[in-house]
Amino acid sequence: MIAFEPSEEQKMVRDAVAQFADRTLRPRMREFERARALPPDVVAAAHAMGLPLAAFPEAVGGSGLGFVTQVLIEEELAAGDPAAAFALGGPGAYGWAALLLGGPDVAKELLAPFAGEAGASRVGAVAWGEPRAAQGRAGLATVAEKTASGWRLTGEKRYVLDAARAQSFIVFAQVDPAEGWRGVGAFVVPADARGLRVTARHETLGLDAASFGGVALDGVEVPAGARLPFGSESPNVVWLFATQALLVAARGVGLARAAFETTRAYAEQRKAFGKPIGHFQAVAFTLADRATDLEAARAMVWRAAWDWDQLAKSEGGKPDARQALLHTAWAVSYAHEAAMRAGDDAVQLHGGSGFMRDYPVEKWMRDAKQLGLCGMTAEHADQLAAAVALDKDLDPGLVLPSAETQSAFL
Amino acid sequence: MTIEFSLSNRQRDTLAMVHQFAESVVRPQSLQWDRDHGVPHDFLRQIAMMAQSMGGGLVMGPGRSSGDEKEPSADEKKRRQPALSTVLGAEAMAWGDAGLLLCLPGAGLGGPPVRASGTPEQKKRFLSVFDDMSGELRWGAYALTEPGAGSDVAGIRTSCRKDGRHWVLNGRKCFITNGARASWNVVFATVDPALGRAGHRAFVVEKGTPGFSVGKIEDKMGLRASETAELVLEDCRVPEDNLLGGEDGYRTKEGFMTAMKTFDTTRPMVAAMALGIGRAAYEHAVAFVKEHYMLARSVPRYAAIAERLARVGRQLEGARMTTWRAAWLADQGQRNAKEASMCKAMAGGAAIRACIEAIEICGAEGSIAGDGRLLEKWFRDIKVYDIFEGTGQIQRIVIAKRLLPDLKSF
Ligand SMILES: Cc1cc2nc3c(=O)[nH]c(=O)nc-3n(C[C@H](O)[C@H](O)[C@H](O)COP(=O)(O)OP(=O)(O)OC[C@H]3O[C@@H](n4cnc5c(N)ncnc54)[C@H](O)[C@@H]3O)c2cc1C
Repeated sequence: MIAFEPSEEQKMVRDAVAQFADRTLRPRMREFERARALPPDVVAAAHAMGLPLAAFPEAVGGSGLGFVTQVLIEEELAAGDPAAAFALGGPGAYGWAALLLGGPDVAKELLAPFAGEAGASRVGAVAWGEPRAAQGRAGLATVAEKTASGWRLTGEKRYVLDAARAQSFIVFAQVDPAEGWRGVGAFVVPADARGLRVTARHETLGLDAASFGGVALDGVEVPAGARLPFGSESPNVVWLFATQALLVAARGVGLARAAFETTRAYAEQRKAFGKPIGHFQAVAFTLADRATDLEAARAMVWRAAWDWDQLAKSEGGKPDARQALLHTAWAVSYAHEAAMRAGDDAVQLHGGSGFMRDYPVEKWMRDAKQLGLCGMTAEHADQLAAAVALDKDLDPGLVLPSAETQSAFL
Repeated sequence: MTIEFSLSNRQRDTLAMVHQFAESVVRPQSLQWDRDHGVPHDFLRQIAMMAQSMGGGLVMGPGRSSGDEKEPSADEKKRRQPALSTVLGAEAMAWGDAGLLLCLPGAGLGGPPVRASGTPEQKKRFLSVFDDMSGELRWGAYALTEPGAGSDVAGIRTSCRKDGRHWVLNGRKCFITNGARASWNVVFATVDPALGRAGHRAFVVEKGTPGFSVGKIEDKMGLRASETAELVLEDCRVPEDNLLGGEDGYRTKEGFMTAMKTFDTTRPMVAAMALGIGRAAYEHAVAFVKEHYMLARSVPRYAAIAERLARVGRQLEGARMTTWRAAWLADQGQRNAKEASMCKAMAGGAAIRACIEAIEICGAEGSIAGDGRLLEKWFRDIKVYDIFEGTGQIQRIVIAKRLLPDLKSF
């Protein structure tokens, strides 16, 4: 069956999040931006609603609501404040990396501290991006060398979401330099590990309330068990980045919706040449196109999310992950571009006022560009889509954020 | 309800069959039909009988034509999803050949207004002529456009005046699909142009009615297998029983609404056909790149091609999702005028882009030699999908009016 209506349960979740976004996030959006953080009461409220663990399977301590529900949540949060959707903390990509790369047992263990009241201030981070590409070979510049009892990590990470807040990281590093992108490993590293230093927070174009920073690893020693046990042929690294990108795409939909709705209302009320500006065809057609964008982007995100839920359900079978990847890649580039167009047109149709910080639209425009750099970019997603369509081998390096593109916020 | 993207068993089976048929039977004849300006009647009869035996589900086929057939109940529509099944089938058939779809015998575009506005007697009388497909083939058609009024539907000048138990029609209709071969045309005329839409009347004008004749048959860029005719009405005397809906139906603006209501069901279908052509071109380009480009070109060239394929693929997917949603809304018994226009505008644009990009990517070898000639044909066929059933601009007007309630028109 093809259907486009959330279940009763999903509606309840969505409406609760929408209310939170409407009452708590939107009115305080600029406050968060100035503070460059979400205040603890907001983080605690989201935690109390169960948002950070909503989509994870019950077997690993989540609520088992799945990806479709998660993209509904992300859209609503981002419609309130796109930055807040990134800044809520919790396990986020860290939890998904634990599940996809470590398996259910590892995920259960790593997710446990995020539960309960004590978990409200818990933050996990994934350190992937790097300031410079590895010289003379494919793969990451950060290396992991085998020691007698485990691994020693050396290198520098950048563009890490929540670097300054996280109590624990999953750090990606090159295990086998000869293997290129297939020789990458991932390691659980506590923030207080000796030799780990959080470097200066980046000043960003948008999404100011979210914190992006760096991590320097100066011979950090971790035990053998810290390495997540995925093999070099595992598709799960690509899956991880694809699914995380899909959540970002869902935020893009929320952002686009906020920008569109605000602009639609403005076009009804702002007058020029004796009539509402929306009654000029150039303006009305722009609105029609943005509304269409929104419909398309949302449905594409839903479809891709549904694919992943199907995949998760069909354990053991050989479900068509390439289909999920293709739909995800399409949804990601479409939503990123739709969000950017929505932000751009929102400022444009507000005229000079749009440029002023009294109005929200300039923030959405900045946020849109920033959002497009978080995780898989539209360009990466296009390469992924083409690689699937052309039956190419899905080498992680084809699609993952890398130093060359300087886009690795995750 | 749910958010879901799987087909019902029935949809899946039908789709597989239609696809198989489109691939092995339709495609191989497509170029010939284009050159011959038509599809042999024996072949059309075969398809018509096949469609009938399947109980419809094939686009515009005669299956649902019978006047006896009751409108499915709201519950049945939700369950069996006739609109969704139609767009799925339309895409698959148009992927084989779009012209064929327009040639299929049956009520065609004339069906929806008769079903929507006809009295029970009229439905039976006009639709039952399509019940028996074994003998002479029959078509219905929809004649709204005039030399002086296409987009501006309210501006039609074909006149009608009551004379005893007849109506006398005078005027010209142009670009009417199957207009010449049709057993009857739904002809729109006005009692008084000054009344605008309120003056409109819809008549079922049967072939052989005194004063009705066929003018020019158009020579077109594409869809050359489909007949496009000019109709001439000179003191054409139409029995009063042929006034669609009877005189009571026109106390309000109903006349015009008949014309417009039709579009809410036909636009998603037309969008789906455009998607079929667009997908054909996209798949053609993907196959061409796989064969000719892989590793044979330098990387930057390859990346650019990949990006273009991805862009085309995602635009088609976005349009497909909006089309499914518009059809789904119709099956749910919900209003879908805005969404129907969104999908029509988006699909037309995306599919044209797909054909243009495919030609550019495949070059001479891939677009005019051997099987590549199909691509050249698709390029010619697709353009009209952004023109008929309302141009892209007109769709944007429809959308904008629903976004901005105070907006009357431009
Ligand atoms: C192959 C084919 C089959 C067809 N089959 C049928 C059929 O079966 N029955 C039928 O009734 N008609 C049929 N048509 C006619 C078709 O619906 C019209 O061509 C179409 O509606 C456009 O009208 P027009 O050609 O008069 O263009 P115009 O209305 O003259 O438009 C010209 C251009 O101006 C733009 N424009 C017009 N008004 C506005 C506005 N207010 N704002 C912005 N832009 C505007 C249009 O978008 C277009 O780009 C068919 C046409 C073709 C080509």
